[in-house]
Amino acid sequence: MSANSWLATGNFFTTYKQEQRTFLTSLDRSFFTFFLVLLFGWPLLFELSNKYMLVVDNILIAIVAVMGLNLVTGFAGLISIGHAAFVGIGAYTIASFCRTLGDSHIIVTHFWPVLIIISGLVGAAFGALIGLPALRLKHLYLAIATLSFQMIFEWTIQFMTFFNQGQTISVGRIFWFTGEIGRTDHYLSWYFIILTIVIILGFGIRNILKTRYGRCLIAVRDNDRAADAMGMNPGLTKVYAFALAGFFAGVAGALHAYLYRGVGFESFTLHESIGYLAMAIVGGLGTLNGSFWGPVAIKFLDLQMEHLSEVAGQYLPSGMNLTTAMKPFTFGLVIVLFLMYESRGIANWWRITKSYTKLWPFRY
Amino acid sequence: MSYFFQIVVSGIVVGSIYALAALGMVLIYKSSKVLNIAHGQIIAAGAFITYYLTVSAGVPIFFSFIASMIITFFLAMSVERIFLRKLIGEPIISVIMVTIGLASIIDGLIYLTPFGTENFSFPAFLPQTPLSLGGVSISWTQLLGVIITFVLIGGFSWFFKKSTIGISMRAVSDDQLASMSVGISVPRVFGLAWATAGLSAAAAGCIIGNITGINFDTLHAFGIIVFPVVILGGLDSILGAVVAGIIMGLIQQFASGYLDGNFGLSGTGSVLPYVILLIILLFKPHGLFGIHEIERV
Repeated sequence: MSANSWLATGNFFTTYKQEQRTFLTSLDRSFFTFFLVLLFGWPLLFELSNKYMLVVDNILIAIVAVMGLNLVTGFAGLISIGHAAFVGIGAYTIASFCRTLGDSHIIVTHFWPVLIIISGLVGAAFGALIGLPALRLKHLYLAIATLSFQMIFEWTIQFMTFFNQGQTISVGRIFWFTGEIGRTDHYLSWYFIILTIVIILGFGIRNILKTRYGRCLIAVRDNDRAADAMGMNPGLTKVYAFALAGFFAGVAGALHAYLYRGVGFESFTLHESIGYLAMAIVGGLGTLNGSFWGPVAIKFLDLQMEHLSEVAGQYLPSGMNLTTAMKPFTFGLVIVLFLMYESRGIANWWRITKSYTKLWPFRY
Repeated sequence: MSYFFQIVVSGIVVGSIYALAALGMVLIYKSSKVLNIAHGQIIAAGAFITYYLTVSAGVPIFFSFIASMIITFFLAMSVERIFLRKLIGEPIISVIMVTIGLASIIDGLIYLTPFGTENFSFPAFLPQTPLSLGGVSISWTQLLGVIITFVLIGGFSWFFKKSTIGISMRAVSDDQLASMSVGISVPRVFGLAWATAGLSAAAAGCIIGNITGINFDTLHAFGIIVFPVVILGGLDSILGAVVAGIIMGLIQQFASGYLDGNFGLSGTGSVLPYVILLIILLFKPHGLFGIHEIERV
């Protein structure tokens, strides 16, 4: 540790405890605190219409889901093409509570934090189940396992009358300490709730990556046989990674269900799975802040594409279905271009900018 | 009993097309160890090109069948050239993700055309009365489809076993470095593998289009169901793809013939392959004929 706690001039760790701290310098910590205050404060200063607040909420939910996906794809090196199905598991956990108890039952409206955690745990259980082939197999086969889980999930939801065969199942409004959250405050209050969850889970991931398990993950990704020789258990590490990703996805799904006050099948299709994968890739696989950049970038792109197709749709023959075509096309293009030209994603741009401003006016 | 045999026959018909579709995926995997997620989209593209040539351009169907195979041959080759050539030497995981992105791009492009949302069917060019053999009937289209499929599979096996290019493909799949040292151009082999895969995919798409009609969702589902087939057969075995294709076709037809309607089930044919896939991955991950590779650090 350098003498000055505000500026780092090199690594002078004398204990392991120092190395494991979350913030390297006091400057980092105060910047982060300022940023958090900004995140919590801006909706109180600026009035944002419900339409755009919904977009912001959506971004935050996607961040929760992508943090999980990044853990399994970025840190464990296993492709998951079924992440939307895991998100769907979380949403349908809430939905099944609503179906059995009624959508405005006191458990659904008052004990929603418990239900969100339960959804996460159910997601984790399914994640572990689908990850079981990881005990013997490598990435390629797991991609197919998650793909088939996606297909099984879609079939099950559309088949079972308990899940309304994929039609919307409504979820009741929740209660805060002050009473029921009404229509006007709905998106704003969920912004604060989801933001809090994102921060908790973000710190969670950051800490997991510093534990023995997090280091195991990276070792297994880089070379699983060498990791095995070093006394780690690659199979179990991968299964845990799937379970953790399932937990994050489940939480995201529960939040989605509560935010939209309903669960419909079309939010959890294969296209959505590929969308999550696009977010993880664009953000930067194997980085924590990539999970934040990716959803922001992709959702922003999505919004722009909607505007574009609205404008362009007036000049095109009606047979061309631009709105349905644009989404898969841009997602695919973004995935391919980022993998070809910037495989470390936006997180890499962030890293470069950060080190540039920190060291300015020196090069290094 | 004739119901049973009817199901067996239609299972073999569907299964042999699965085999043809799976063949392309096996070819790509065998030479470059890449799993092509966009295979279903190439199948669909093949079917659409054939339809366009036959109906809009008025080409006789056999010529348009061959022409679409040739077009898809070059299409797949250029896909490899543009997108995947840059990624040789990158980790396999990112190459697979590029194919996921490709699948998404082709999806978007197909949605732009009328093929994305509407249904079409090929004009009939064979006798409409089905061939009947002891209570079991098979339509002429299905029969022709199966015959073409087996001819193509035979051709591909011969090509892979005997021809110089096929042998160099097998050499590359065995050891890239060693095959380079004996003068095989590895990138060219990759390109050819993609091209032949595109060719077989177009043939499969065209045959399905003739049997079931052209609908993007059906063709899309078809492309995904190829995964259980290649896993069951073992990812790198042509014989495995053929056997597993027919097994999977039979399973699907038996499921929809005997399970649907009973026990309150419906549409089991489209989900059972995936359940089987998960079970295979747990217990026999290298499939029926796949090679169990021993890896060393």
